[in-house]
Amino acid sequence: MTVQALLLLTSALFCMGIYGLLARRNAIALLLSAELMINAVTINLVTFSRLAGGVTGQVFAVFTIALTVAEVVVGLAIVILLFRWRREIAVDSANELRH
Amino acid sequence: MTPIDCALIALFVPLAAAFAIAVLAPLRHAGRPAAWLSVAAALISLGASLVLLAQQWSQPERVVREVVRWLPSGAASLAQVGIHLDGVSVSMSVVVTLVAACVQIFSLGYMADEPPAARGRYFGYHSFFIFSMLLLVIAPNLLQLFAGWELVGLTSYLLIGFYFQKPSAAKASVKAIWVTKFADMGLLLGLICLFAVSGGFEWTATLSEAWATTITLLLFLAVVGKSAQFPLHIWLPNAMEGPTPVSALLHAATMVAAGVYLAVRADPLFAQAPNTQMVMAWLGGFTALFAAVLATVQTDIKRVLAYSTCSQLGYMVCALGAGSAIAGYFHLTTHAFFKALLFLAAGSVIHAVHSNELSSMGGLARRMKLTSAVFIIGALALAGIPGLAGFFSKDLILESVYEADLLVPWAMLILAAFLTAFYMGRVIFLALFGPFSEASEGAIESGFSMAGPLLLLAAGSLGIGYFGAQFALLSGGSYHFHVGMSGMLGTACAVAGLLLSWLIYGARRLTPQAFRFLAPVGRLAESGLVDRFFEFAYRRGALALSDAVGFFDRYVVDGVMNCIGWTTIVSGRRLRGSETGNVRDYVFAVVAGAVVIAFWGLAR
Repeated sequence: MTVQALLLLTSALFCMGIYGLLARRNAIALLLSAELMINAVTINLVTFSRLAGGVTGQVFAVFTIALTVAEVVVGLAIVILLFRWRREIAVDSANELRH
Repeated sequence: MTPIDCALIALFVPLAAAFAIAVLAPLRHAGRPAAWLSVAAALISLGASLVLLAQQWSQPERVVREVVRWLPSGAASLAQVGIHLDGVSVSMSVVVTLVAACVQIFSLGYMADEPPAARGRYFGYHSFFIFSMLLLVIAPNLLQLFAGWELVGLTSYLLIGFYFQKPSAAKASVKAIWVTKFADMGLLLGLICLFAVSGGFEWTATLSEAWATTITLLLFLAVVGKSAQFPLHIWLPNAMEGPTPVSALLHAATMVAAGVYLAVRADPLFAQAPNTQMVMAWLGGFTALFAAVLATVQTDIKRVLAYSTCSQLGYMVCALGAGSAIAGYFHLTTHAFFKALLFLAAGSVIHAVHSNELSSMGGLARRMKLTSAVFIIGALALAGIPGLAGFFSKDLILESVYEADLLVPWAMLILAAFLTAFYMGRVIFLALFGPFSEASEGAIESGFSMAGPLLLLAAGSLGIGYFGAQFALLSGGSYHFHVGMSGMLGTACAVAGLLLSWLIYGARRLTPQAFRFLAPVGRLAESGLVDRFFEFAYRRGALALSDAVGFFDRYVVDGVMNCIGWTTIVSGRRLRGSETGNVRDYVFAVVAGAVVIAFWGLAR
């Protein structure tokens, strides 16, 4: 696959993530959308790494994936606490900071 | 004992007594012990002053000066406090402590009917007054004099308002402090100017003529306020709301004389400003005449004496204006004796008939022989009858004013001498002779504690005038009594005044109706025109100014601050709508921001 095709793919993934973030109310769906965006960025990293040669970018891509997992763990923990507290996970309902 | 020790005893024993009475509430509430403590302190102070005078008497030129640094700034000090003993300050401190001791002993009898706590308070104030006045008298420079000046003003306020339950007394004390504080502004400004020009607060400073005139005019404003000169004399008649012994001590003999004392002390400064001296001579002469006119129409015995005090202080100021500090100071001393005597005798009369009004007295010479005798001695001394104290000093004043070519002030003083004799004769014939009134029928002579001081002061009023030469020596000049044209004329006027009062009020050959053509003067005198002028100036001037300042403060200064606060609140309220608390809105803002930044980057 060409670099161009890969960049198009990552752009499409990133836009889907943004759309998901903006359009969904479900907290888990938001986390999924964020994952999509992060993965798009990771693919970008690998693509440019191949373009430049060497393995540094690919090593960093593995790091990113590990960090993403940690982030998702924290995010899901928050979602579970939110569910215990309010019995639902729609983010619109958690607007206490406004008041 | 060294002179400094004596001065310190005279100064601090009364302060210790005042402090004890102020702090030890049981002592104050007991009344009698506090009174005796205060009298004892006054007597010790008097003794120490007399020792000083005895030393000074043999060495009139001696000057003892002991100062300590005050307000140190770096190696130098901005000012000094201490003790300055020369002929003037020593003799003045004897006058102060002598009159104060007499008045306190008199008060033992006069205030005997007051509740004990009030008596304790009264004597505490008196002790504090002796300290304040001596602090003023022995000051080595004008700054310490100013401190004492304010303290005597405070005691005056406290003692005028002694019967503070009485609204008129409370008002009178406030009026006194307002008027004198207004005048004290002059002293403060004068001191600031003096310090700026000469770098110190000494009265011996040499100044350029313009500065000398400015500074002495400012000092003279303070003199006008304290010594009740026209137009700031308005507080003194009201000050008669205080107990009569207080009027004798503060508002006749000593405190009001502090103004004249300041002018005597600062004479080296005044001597450099002929223009100020001219103002002093004219204003003093005018006050002497003006207050004498007012005194002739008063029906309250204390008010007659109050206006008479204004008038006599006018004599002193006029003498100082004529450049004769000796004459002014001599009259201050003699006046202290006979005016204190007159007030105390009046107090004795008031104590007997329970009224200040001349109409409720009458025939008292038959009931109160001693009081009447000393009152007549005091009145004749005040009128300037030859042989008595007032004659010598008044003669010297008339002489020196005449020699200074101040003919108009001199004429006013001569006329005032006539009126002085007239109004004192009027009081004598109305209060002491003539038919009894209901109240005076049963009047009885006062007790020993009241009679003793009267006799002492009467002796002073008789004899002090013969010490003129020694007084002149003490204040660094010379004086020989000689019969002059001015003195003769003044005496003739005094005798004529007495005669006229006898014709009207004693023998009743003339009715007061014969002087109907003078009625407008009387009405003018009673209308309180000066009071109304100050009221007007206060309402239209001071209040309008403060209204304008208040408007600026309220609507301009506060307006700017309020506007800033209001803008913050309103904009905060508007912006609050943008904070929805909704996560997706924030995400949208982040994304939109990213897009904007991206486009901005592309466009660059």
